[in-house]
Amino acid sequence: MNRTKQYIRLRVNGEEREVAVSPNRTLLEVLREDLLLFGTKEACDDGACGVCTVLVDGKPMRSCLLLAVRMEGKEITTIEGIAQAGALHPIQQAFIDQGAIQCGFCTPGMILTAKALLDEKPEPSKHEIRRAISGNLCRCTGYNKIVDAIGSVAALAKGGR
Amino acid sequence: MDELLYVGKSAPRKDGPVKASGEAQYTVDITLPGMLCCKILRSHLPHARILRIDTSRAERLPGVKAVVTAKDSLKIKHGFVETPRYPADQYPIAVDRVRYVGEEVAGVAAIDEATAEEALGLIDVEYEELPAIFDVEEAMKLDAPEIHPSHPKVKEPYKNIGGKTETSWGDVEKAFSESHLVREDRYVSQLRTHAYMEPQVTVASYDYSGKLNVWTSGMGVFLKRAKLARTLGLPFGRVRVLKSYVGGAFGGKVDLFSHEYIASLLSMKCRKPVKAVYTREEVFKFARHGQPLIMYIKTGVARDGTILAQKIRTINDSGGYRGSGVVVIFLSWGYGMLTYRIPNLVYEGYSVYTNNTLHCPQRGHGAPQMRFALESQMDMIAEELGIDPIEIRLRNARKPGEILPNGDPLKNYGLIECIEEAAKACDFKSKYGKSRREQDKDQQKGSHIKRGIGIGLSSYMGGSLIYPNSSSVIVKLNDDATVSLITGALDLGQGPETILCQIVAEEMGVPMEDIQVFAADTETTTQDIGSWISGLTYVTGNAAKLAAENAMKKLLDVAAEELDADAKDLEAKNKEIFVKRSPERKISYADAVAASIAKRDGDTIIGEGHYRTVKDVPTHPSLATTKGRWSDNYASDAQIAEVEVDTETGMVKVVKATMAHDCGFPINPQLVEGQIDGQISMAQGHALCEEVLVKDGHIINPSFLEYKIPCALDMVENEQIHVITEKYQKGRHYDTKEVGEGHVSGILAAIANAVYDATGVRVNELPIYPHKILEGLEKKK
Repeated sequence: MNRTKQYIRLRVNGEEREVAVSPNRTLLEVLREDLLLFGTKEACDDGACGVCTVLVDGKPMRSCLLLAVRMEGKEITTIEGIAQAGALHPIQQAFIDQGAIQCGFCTPGMILTAKALLDEKPEPSKHEIRRAISGNLCRCTGYNKIVDAIGSVAALAKGGR
Repeated sequence: MDELLYVGKSAPRKDGPVKASGEAQYTVDITLPGMLCCKILRSHLPHARILRIDTSRAERLPGVKAVVTAKDSLKIKHGFVETPRYPADQYPIAVDRVRYVGEEVAGVAAIDEATAEEALGLIDVEYEELPAIFDVEEAMKLDAPEIHPSHPKVKEPYKNIGGKTETSWGDVEKAFSESHLVREDRYVSQLRTHAYMEPQVTVASYDYSGKLNVWTSGMGVFLKRAKLARTLGLPFGRVRVLKSYVGGAFGGKVDLFSHEYIASLLSMKCRKPVKAVYTREEVFKFARHGQPLIMYIKTGVARDGTILAQKIRTINDSGGYRGSGVVVIFLSWGYGMLTYRIPNLVYEGYSVYTNNTLHCPQRGHGAPQMRFALESQMDMIAEELGIDPIEIRLRNARKPGEILPNGDPLKNYGLIECIEEAAKACDFKSKYGKSRREQDKDQQKGSHIKRGIGIGLSSYMGGSLIYPNSSSVIVKLNDDATVSLITGALDLGQGPETILCQIVAEEMGVPMEDIQVFAADTETTTQDIGSWISGLTYVTGNAAKLAAENAMKKLLDVAAEELDADAKDLEAKNKEIFVKRSPERKISYADAVAASIAKRDGDTIIGEGHYRTVKDVPTHPSLATTKGRWSDNYASDAQIAEVEVDTETGMVKVVKATMAHDCGFPINPQLVEGQIDGQISMAQGHALCEEVLVKDGHIINPSFLEYKIPCALDMVENEQIHVITEKYQKGRHYDTKEVGEGHVSGILAAIANAVYDATGVRVNELPIYPHKILEGLEKKK
């Protein structure tokens, strides 16, 4: 195995970071093990469950499938990066208020997927919400309250215009 | 009656903010200085004798800090059930024999994962392969290879019997002979799995004071402590199991697991923290799955559909060890007899050893399997008799005030109301049978989408006597009148921390944000019944209620002294205590606490409460004979599914679910809805797509890519109807029922019945794969 480490620079939650990584390591491993951002969870390691979703240049991506060395110059957003000035992001708050969290293990990936959706399309239909999160598995909630939570943020955006 | 301020309201979860922010620390997030990585060597053979294990090469590998095998252990067996009839049957690390693919043979602790993996490859195990058996009914035959000797008390000529439940009442044969119709069918509920999102993971840290600290993704810390302490030969006081957030369990994380034991043993050997994490592949291949069940049901009914007799035989494949097999065959009796009156019954359930991987409870533990079988057959009987599915159920459904065959009273039981409400809400009677009646019309229109509707009922106990049997709660008033709530309850996502907070807030008149919960630590919190057997809200909830009452009594006593009044003339509200008739005479909670410290013995106000389920009996019912009290209260539900079946592809889409349920009194309606939603989703998977596939003892679909659980697009919108049968009153005992697992069952049966209603195809072996429907349609032609 080639264990020669490579330096990469990337922006994580708005901060410039430099890390030395072996070419076989994933973004998920670097986030958790090197940057100690434990909010990003691992549940399948084969891209099937969406639990490890982070935003890469604003797009929801499975960090277990991304090699860290390919992240040079990328803007990464994890669950730790979306609360602003001590206040939870409206999507985080909506997940709490609407009962969209049970065990919470899928929650970070789910919230980031929702953020990417709402950033692109502030007023998605219910079906669009379901489609957007269909790659994020949740075993506790049956998804309905998650869809409601995302929908409530969309409704808020609509009201705010 | 006082208006309720906190209970009965959809208060947001206490742990919501830390889970939404990503701060919540799960076991997998725990990282300790010097922590080592644990990997486990497992048997690749389904059945073999271990002749020799040589770990010397692994031990010499640089970076390896400890290797353990059975010779490092005390060779103490454990089991899901440990009773005189069913003594423990499994070593936490294999001694001389392995009985399934994946059984733990050795453990390694190394400085990193790669080194630990490499070390596993250097362990040399010599096996003598033994004949293996994988089909449960074949395993019962006398010529099958012996995995364990058959249970000595089982007299039938069968092999590999881990346990048997048998019970009967009335005269079944006579009743069958007098029946207008007798049906006999065989049903199969497949091997499926919990699919908790957080894999199995344990961190064990044995320190130089001789204490073992353990964080593990489990379902209750006290059971883990008891079993770890016993198998490791440590006193309880030297094993501390601490809280970490748990990423789902659904029954799959109860009991002691070998990785917990091995991580602990490794840490004891090298005095370093050790972490064992399963990959998802390992979870699928080696962690315990739910209980598969074969059910033979023979039912005799009168002309009007009244059940006269039932003969039930269940067969459970427990895998290489007993696990919860002997419990599921007991529970299957229970979930068979709870819903309908059965005047004559013969029940026998066998739990059978095979060389498959091990099985354990999964949400409902026998109920989904049995309700699927019984409700399917109920519809078949109704059709043969020309009776509506609702009518036949109303005719047989149990009513409040009935005494169950084991002596448990059905104090209040909303089943009849659930059936009526659910049927009304979705206009069941006008929809049922329509698709099959109008089949010719559909064909003329060229439509290949058939719509169907089906109903399923179920009922579930709320807590039973299983170690640790009871719960205690402590509430402490702090100087500033905020409250610390101390409980052993472990929140797996179902919400006990929130529920307990609501109860204490209600009883003490303290807002929820002023209550901090300290939970699930064997050292610093109180014993708790555990997050299984659906008893937490009832048992721990009542303990919390009593603790809050106890603290309030002390607080009012102090206030009475300070206000020169009689305690019974006082009223507490908004953290102040008033004299009822002259409210200007008052004292704040904080001042009352200060007075208690200054003028009494210096005691701050601390309240304690203790509660045990089924108080008037010493122990749980007999798993062998079913005799004995089981539970204090029973939830019930009637659930209706509407489906669309594509007769060209065989695909089933669940389009609507109507869920009428009696959970007593919903302490937090939003949490109740969340539990019901989750159960519908799990039932959809059980009904239509989930199956762990096994070939010669090897699991061959070990990923979410190959084991499909429902996603957001599959989830059905549903209507939920709360049938309220209990009242919550301040200062009085309450009897609330479960809502977290019983409701996974009726909807499963309802989906199967709706598929039949749509297509006329009856699938008796789950899951209802498209090809089974197409084959059924082909046969009908």
